[in-house]
Amino acid sequence: MSEQMHIPRTKRVFINLPMLLRVLGWLLMIEAAFMLVPTLTCAIYQEPDIKAFLITTAITLATGIGMTFGIRTYNTSMGKREGFLLTSLVWVVFSFFGMIPYILCSNPLTITDAFFETMSGFTTTGATVYLNVEELSHGINMWRCLTQWLGGMGIILFTLAVLPMLNSSGGIQMFNAEVTGITHEKLRPRISQTAKGLWGVYGMLSLILCVLLWIGPLNFFDSICHAFSTMSTGGFSTRNNSIAYWDSNYVKIITTIFMFLGGVNFSLLYKICHGEGLKSLFRNDTFRAYLKIVSLTFVAFVIAIVANGQAHTVADVTIDPLFQIITTITSTGLTASNFESWGPFVLALLFLLMFFGACAGSTSGGAKIDRILYLLKNTSNELYRSIHPNAIRSVRINSMIMSPETVNRVIAFLCIYVIIVAAGGIMLTAFGLPIVDSFFSVFSCVSNVGLGTGVTGYSGYGFEVLPDIAKWVLSVFMLIGRLELFTVLILFTPAFWSK
Amino acid sequence: MKIVIAGAGEVGSHLARLLSREKQDVILIDNNAERLAILDADNNLMTLKGRPISFKTQKSSGADQCDLFIAVTPDETQNVLACSMAKSIGAKKTLARIDNYEFLDSNNRDYFMRLGVNSLIYPEYLAAHEIITALHRNWVRHWFEIHDGKLIIVGVKVRDNAKIIGMQLKEFAMVEHNFHVAAIKRRHDTIIPRGDDRILPNDILYFVCTPEHVNELIDLCGKQQHRIRRVLVMGGSRIAICLSALASDEFKIKLIENDMSKCRSLPETCPQCDIVHGDARDIDTLREEGIMDTDAFIALSDSSETNILTCLTAKELGVKKTIAEVEDLQFISEAENLNIGTIINKKLIASSSIFQILLDADTGSSKCLALADAEVAEIEVRPKSKITRGPVRSLDLPYGMTIAGLIRNNQGMLVTGNTVIEPGDYVVVFCLGGALHKIEKLFK
Repeated sequence: MSEQMHIPRTKRVFINLPMLLRVLGWLLMIEAAFMLVPTLTCAIYQEPDIKAFLITTAITLATGIGMTFGIRTYNTSMGKREGFLLTSLVWVVFSFFGMIPYILCSNPLTITDAFFETMSGFTTTGATVYLNVEELSHGINMWRCLTQWLGGMGIILFTLAVLPMLNSSGGIQMFNAEVTGITHEKLRPRISQTAKGLWGVYGMLSLILCVLLWIGPLNFFDSICHAFSTMSTGGFSTRNNSIAYWDSNYVKIITTIFMFLGGVNFSLLYKICHGEGLKSLFRNDTFRAYLKIVSLTFVAFVIAIVANGQAHTVADVTIDPLFQIITTITSTGLTASNFESWGPFVLALLFLLMFFGACAGSTSGGAKIDRILYLLKNTSNELYRSIHPNAIRSVRINSMIMSPETVNRVIAFLCIYVIIVAAGGIMLTAFGLPIVDSFFSVFSCVSNVGLGTGVTGYSGYGFEVLPDIAKWVLSVFMLIGRLELFTVLILFTPAFWSK
Repeated sequence: MKIVIAGAGEVGSHLARLLSREKQDVILIDNNAERLAILDADNNLMTLKGRPISFKTQKSSGADQCDLFIAVTPDETQNVLACSMAKSIGAKKTLARIDNYEFLDSNNRDYFMRLGVNSLIYPEYLAAHEIITALHRNWVRHWFEIHDGKLIIVGVKVRDNAKIIGMQLKEFAMVEHNFHVAAIKRRHDTIIPRGDDRILPNDILYFVCTPEHVNELIDLCGKQQHRIRRVLVMGGSRIAICLSALASDEFKIKLIENDMSKCRSLPETCPQCDIVHGDARDIDTLREEGIMDTDAFIALSDSSETNILTCLTAKELGVKKTIAEVEDLQFISEAENLNIGTIINKKLIASSSIFQILLDADTGSSKCLALADAEVAEIEVRPKSKITRGPVRSLDLPYGMTIAGLIRNNQGMLVTGNTVIEPGDYVVVFCLGGALHKIEKLFK
């Protein structure tokens, strides 16, 4: 024997809590670093809210340092359980610390509203409890958009890119738990390289968008904020009327393009940046389906608009419907036009788009086109098999044959998705909400779209009119939707907690 | 370093895990998606489904830019071809696993270099070599030579009859100056001992010494060096065939094989061995074939459990040296606590020799072998490093490590508290798992 494998003899603990808390401490320090951005914004605009941000940064940093350096770990191993638990926990803990500025600022929110706003930010839902965002300080607006930017690509993914200590198998578990999609494609051999690659593409696109918006009618501050919330397909705006404030086709076109890109699988974008031609994009089944869905609904929208007599200008039948389609399918939720007047058929189509979402591995929400594709192909196979019972047909995506287990998982996902929306809707009706609004708000939150209940005509306001308990419930649903059900739901199974 | 491994079989996946833990960039290619999925989900590496002998697959795995291409599929022609292809598209170094002794011949080296295969690895041949070493030095459990044999690490299991039982290590150091106990394996734990640790029965002690003093250990540990002549081998596996080709002159080998069709072909491949058709698990068969007069029993069947158990039986029947092939990694530690002389594992042998090739290529890593939970590293001392600042005793070295010996001017020597380490020395360090990265800083 010239070499023996290292067989760890240290006892495997059930859940490695000390290590979990330590990593959480590291993550909080990263959040504190991000809080410096709004602090700086406040300093530049000389706003009193700087105090709120300084206090929050101090609290977050102190907790982070305390947890990282105060807790001793004897065992640094992290398994699947720790991966799931940490990923879910991070999003909740980040929201609890991230909500402090909203409570301490000059337009203070209640704890419920503040948590809802932060969770809505991190999960890129974009539902807001603010009636008038223009009266908020620059710092607060910057923080709202920054939470979306950070949440869009993923908190864990960012950490994997910057913290070398997670560059291990524990990191892989967290990567799998956070990144959206059915299978998680690695771009590079080591997880930190993959994370750096994805964040690199994301950061670069955000930068380009910011510059392009700045060239247009937006001022520097608005361009940064909109670049953050557009690229992450979040949908927070610094203006009450969202994009419509500028009433500029240039802004609409630019925003549409980048929202669209935000809905494309970032691994594909990464590969294009690294030498693979644009052709590989069009060879991708999901991307083709994405394009098809967008163009088909576009045609339907134009017909509906003309039929409703709303086609007054060229923009009414070109960029306006396109913007609305993209903002919905990518779950951004920015608004630029008065789409309520386009008739009920358009609204129904928008619901469908919300359910679809864009490609897996993007920053968008929803069930993801990939899964719909699986469902359709599997259904067509089943129908074929009804005529040819002995036929063997497999689900083939991107010329790869998917195993029946994967297909089962996807179909289970879609079923649970629908059940969750239904269950959530029923739960909200218990708090006295009208039935349509209940279902719509839950649907909007699980899909991370964030279109308000105003759409369905519920008193014409945003989410602030909901009872407190409904806001907490919706916050949970946003998280469930962002982490694609299984990561959060698994925490509620007995198998997760039993030894 | 970027390493592409073709073939996610036993050797391939073990190597991939090991290298990924050593913070190398590992990409694993295999045709079997299920096998890859398991590795992909739990390890920090990338997997790619595809045929290793396809330019397209190789390019998309990045073999054209890799530092090392390792082909360890079960088929040797496929391995050689894959290496040749990888080299042609730009891999810096290639390594193929082979099944043919002829290929290792130094006369054929040029041919393989022309093909683009830099190194060949033949796990069965290496395993047979290990067995021969174990038969020669049948009183030790482990035998490692460091720096071309300038220093030797010997693992010995001590029993009640050894002179040194019950001694504290500081007493032992006062009596004997030629040895350094660098690590102790006690049941499942590995200890880096301090002066007040005692030597207990059934400990496996890892001594470091210079070659001229090794034989003094036989007496100290209450061991006997047996002369081995008759060897009984269970299982006509490829290792057994290799062994008979290498050592039939020296040892009288008798092969017991269960499978009749294999038995028929064995006389051709092992002309000098006695071949017996029978089940070595049966004690009567063993008796009939003269287990009582056998000096060594080697169990090389496909089943690790059978190998372990038959070795124990053979030991009870009075065989002096037993060697078992144990391919299940989790059994190794258990088997070591049993009364089995030496344990052979093809995967570990193969991966450690591949590691050695890596070490030659990448000076950043210094680990040379792993003993249970401890790691052994051979580290070159850089000028002005912390370790050279004074005699070893005044350095306040961290716990869980020991400097076992050093090589100065190509001469091995032991290290005591008064030794001053000089730049340019090669220091052999034992440390507990994972601490190596911290320790390397002392030498830079």
